[in-house]
Amino acid sequence: MQFFFEVLIGGLLAGVMYSLVALGFVLIFKASGVFNFAQGAMVFFAALVFVTLQEKLAAPFWLAFALTLVVMVLVGILTERVVLRPLVNQPQISLFMATIGLAFFVEGAAQLVQLWAFRDISPRPLALGFQDAPIDWLLARFNMLVSRFDAFAALVAGALVAALALFFNKTRVGRALRAVADDHQAALSVGIPLKYIWAIVWSVAGFVALVAGLMWGARSGVQFALTLVALKALPVLILGGFESIAGAIVGGLIIGAAEKLAEVYLGPYVGGGIEGWFAYVLALLFLLVRPEGLFGEKHIDRV
Amino acid sequence: MSAQPPDGEVLLAVDNISLSFGGVKALADVSFDVRRGEIRAIIGPNGAGKSSMLNVINGVYHPQQGTVRFRGETRRRVDPHRAAANGIARTFQNIALFKGMSVLDNIMTGRNLKMRATLFEQAIYVGRNRREELVHREKVEQIIDFLQIEHIRKTPVGRLPYGLQKRVELARALAAEPALLLLDEPMAGMNVEEKQDMCRFVLDVNEEFGTTIVLIEHDMGVVMDISERVVVLDYGRKIADGSPQEVRANPAVIDAYLGVAH
Repeated sequence: MQFFFEVLIGGLLAGVMYSLVALGFVLIFKASGVFNFAQGAMVFFAALVFVTLQEKLAAPFWLAFALTLVVMVLVGILTERVVLRPLVNQPQISLFMATIGLAFFVEGAAQLVQLWAFRDISPRPLALGFQDAPIDWLLARFNMLVSRFDAFAALVAGALVAALALFFNKTRVGRALRAVADDHQAALSVGIPLKYIWAIVWSVAGFVALVAGLMWGARSGVQFALTLVALKALPVLILGGFESIAGAIVGGLIIGAAEKLAEVYLGPYVGGGIEGWFAYVLALLFLLVRPEGLFGEKHIDRV
Repeated sequence: MSAQPPDGEVLLAVDNISLSFGGVKALADVSFDVRRGEIRAIIGPNGAGKSSMLNVINGVYHPQQGTVRFRGETRRRVDPHRAAANGIARTFQNIALFKGMSVLDNIMTGRNLKMRATLFEQAIYVGRNRREELVHREKVEQIIDFLQIEHIRKTPVGRLPYGLQKRVELARALAAEPALLLLDEPMAGMNVEEKQDMCRFVLDVNEEFGTTIVLIEHDMGVVMDISERVVVLDYGRKIADGSPQEVRANPAVIDAYLGVAH
């Protein structure tokens, strides 16, 4: 039983890492109905800019963080101006296709930065000061192995979600974001400038990408594979619902826990290695039962 | 109701507005004015260009010809959010509320332009943001009180019946404390009782806040009762303009509504 809990907690904490990436998707989907294919690329880009600043300019953590945030905000504003603005009033699918193009562009930019700064493309280590080592007192008291780093990541994700929830629900801009997501025409009529709001959404998504990039970079090194982390966010979104911040968290927890438990308890029967794809099977099953996700909005069309 | 033409200053004047979509002429050389403090009705058969006219006034459509003068400022084209900033609020024919948000939040969006806290202050939820939320919340509560929708303030708008949604939309427009309020068929689809309520609210808004109102309505009884002057459009042209009595007696109007014998 104690082993079960160990696996479960490990899974839940790993799931939080997926949630961090999923959050970026949810933000943009909520505010513009667009699935941002470039989110994974933004995670990679943010982490890389951060590492470059830290290593090449010897910038302390907070300075590097602030500068990277500035860069991500600029990317957000630029995205609005160059990619989104010409596509106002176009079908959603056009916007989606545009984000695929954006993904290649951002990935390319990140690789250029990496080559220019480090002259090779091997993973760069990123230290946040939390080792992937067990928490001592949990080990002593309950004989359970819980990673210090994972616990730290969970705390960061929790704080981020709380901050975003407050921002979305308690401020004028947050309200404006939700209003724009709901009805463009009505939002304009009460004086909400669409372009400004989109720039903010993409900047906030850039901020979330930065936090996710730091966490994932610290865990597995800053490398091109970070862009693929976005793929793990997909089953999380399908479970949680594309419109819900809470859904991204709960979805992440379920996916993380389920794939670890499946690996340990079902894995031996099929020869192991199911952690990599179990999440997608789960998402597929979920689509059959509840396509809108746990917290998504059910769309009822009037006929 | 007062039939004498109000003699206040001109708040809004549209001059020689022409608007077409491809080959379809929605408005052709339409001019009229709206005086401060009056209730002005725009009527006409379906497809006469009434909603297009409102859309021109608040900047959703940009006319090919003509100008809109509002508060003494003449402009060719304006964006809807600029129009809102200048003091024009509106409601829509097919309710355009933020369906997923509560009644309170919907009305709070109407205060959007009045709030001053910077993005940074909002991001960390300190200083002016907190104070502002409270101040504006109070104003919103007054409007909620005024329109008698206290009991639904926390309900998501999507769940409300049609008549109440219309009222929430009016509340959101009022929250901006507009100088000019555009109402696109505020009573469409309502039963008699709801219509009476809405009429009363429109008159109260006009009287208590002194808000100038331009409204489109199909119910002739309502129009004749509450408006001071009426513009009649037909096929994008203005065919009559005057007090309800004058308009009702105008042969061109009768022809437009009932058809002409050939």
